Amino acid sequence: MEKNEIEQRVVKVVCEVLGVTPEMVKPDSNFVFDLGAESTQSVQLVAAFEEEFDIEMDSEEALAVETVGAAVDFIEKYVNKN
Amino acid sequence: MSRPSKPHPLVEVDEPNLLEDTFDYSLPPLIRFDGPIVEYIDGQPVQFDPKELASRDIHITDTTFRDGQQACPPYSVDQMVHIYDLMARLGGPNGVVRQTEFFLYTKNDREALDRCRALGHDYPQCTGWIRADKGDFRLVKAAGLNETGMLTSCSDYHIFYKLKSDRKRILERYCQVVDAAFEAGVRPRCHLEDVTRADIDGFVLPFVDRLMEMSEQVPEHLTVKIRLCDTMGFGISYPGVELPRSIPKLIYKLRHECGVPADRLEWHGHNDFHKVHVNGATAWLYGCDAVNTTLFGFGERTGNPPMEAAVFEYIALKGDLCGIDTTAITELADYMRSIGLPIPANYPFVGRHFNTTRAGIHAGGLRQDERIYNIFDTTALLGRPPRVAITDKSGADGVALWVNEFFGLKGDERVNKIKVHALARWVLDQYEVNGRLTAISDEELEAKARELLPELWQKYKGSTQA
Repeated sequence: MEKNEIEQRVVKVVCEVLGVTPEMVKPDSNFVFDLGAESTQSVQLVAAFEEEFDIEMDSEEALAVETVGAAVDFIEKYVNKN
Repeated sequence: MSRPSKPHPLVEVDEPNLLEDTFDYSLPPLIRFDGPIVEYIDGQPVQFDPKELASRDIHITDTTFRDGQQACPPYSVDQMVHIYDLMARLGGPNGVVRQTEFFLYTKNDREALDRCRALGHDYPQCTGWIRADKGDFRLVKAAGLNETGMLTSCSDYHIFYKLKSDRKRILERYCQVVDAAFEAGVRPRCHLEDVTRADIDGFVLPFVDRLMEMSEQVPEHLTVKIRLCDTMGFGISYPGVELPRSIPKLIYKLRHECGVPADRLEWHGHNDFHKVHVNGATAWLYGCDAVNTTLFGFGERTGNPPMEAAVFEYIALKGDLCGIDTTAITELADYMRSIGLPIPANYPFVGRHFNTTRAGIHAGGLRQDERIYNIFDTTALLGRPPRVAITDKSGADGVALWVNEFFGLKGDERVNKIKVHALARWVLDQYEVNGRLTAISDEELEAKARELLPELWQKYKGSTQA
């Protein structure tokens, strides 16, 4: 999958789960400090990424990801693993 | 500020040091001593060696059917027999729960005693409890008991104001009753009522001296036992406290000045100052072999030393289960609740929430390794796995732990918090959206788990149809 497509789908999921607009979601946006993700929303985000990309991520590592750009890189590893 | 005299460099390790000599998860944490205890008695230092506990025949006695019944509606005969049967299983074949005492005054008292004995258990041995009245020994003999407790109040509060007597007359009266016990072939156990508020040198020690002299005239199996009754919970465990409140000094004086052997000394406490369990353990520590208890501490006013706490203390001191079946504690608690005796939810070992954690960060720890927030292997020892109560503080970790426990998931089957995100969201919404203020019950979570975790439900519970 192209990285560009991953980015678009990540932004879509972030907007749905956190209730923010696409304009607010930048590669260096921090999920907690910039986008207001609370603890349970972080868990929801990981679950939503897994569903969107049909992947299963290491939960502790996934929850440690802090920014949108880092999330795209992290997901890309799983999506393009095979 | 002066520099510290001893440096404490950090010791880095490759493997965690879990201090498992003490915190062996399969047992309650062991109580290990690294030296003697020193108490000043009559101005002189006296050493007590707590390591003696490992070899001494310390044990537990019970008064659930006597003091315990003074605090609640009377048990039926069937109830007493069932409780006795479970108590025998708890104490095991080595008699860690050695004796239990019965009233003898009513037909029901005597029927309960007969039916308990008919079960054929070696332990707890059945003994009686009577007033210090010579005529009452007929009841003891008729019941075929070898030992009975008898009330021998010893503070001036009791002697002067309750019994309307004086020290000399009351001492003679008590001794006449002890003589009557000897004549009846019954071992008397003198309950030194209100001893922690008594004049130790002026009455208690002279009385015990007399009892020891009288005991020299009878066979060993009839010699007087002494129960130290901390009737109002005034006893204190700390070294340095003065008599009559000092438990160490009281036991020392009876042992070493009056010559009462450890196996004829018993401690009976009350919980008026929240000291009841530690005071009982202190009595063991300083040379008294028996600690008198009741199940779940039910007893007059604030209650007595809880038997289940004494059982865990015993294991912690001995370092071994010694034949004790701790799972009987949970069955006893369930039974007590079923017959209408409430046990607070936060009550140690048996309360509904005794090993339930509420904070999400604690639940996260439990999820990783239950030893982090569980006192010992409560699943093995009590049949009670650690649990989480779900509130707004539980977090997704707490919800995941609840789900794993609810579905009974082990090892690789266990789900992480990502898998339960929908249920975690629902929980948080109860508080943030709906303004809820109470914990969420298991029943509510079960219904939501059926709805929001259908795959798990199908796999482990079958149909999702309610």
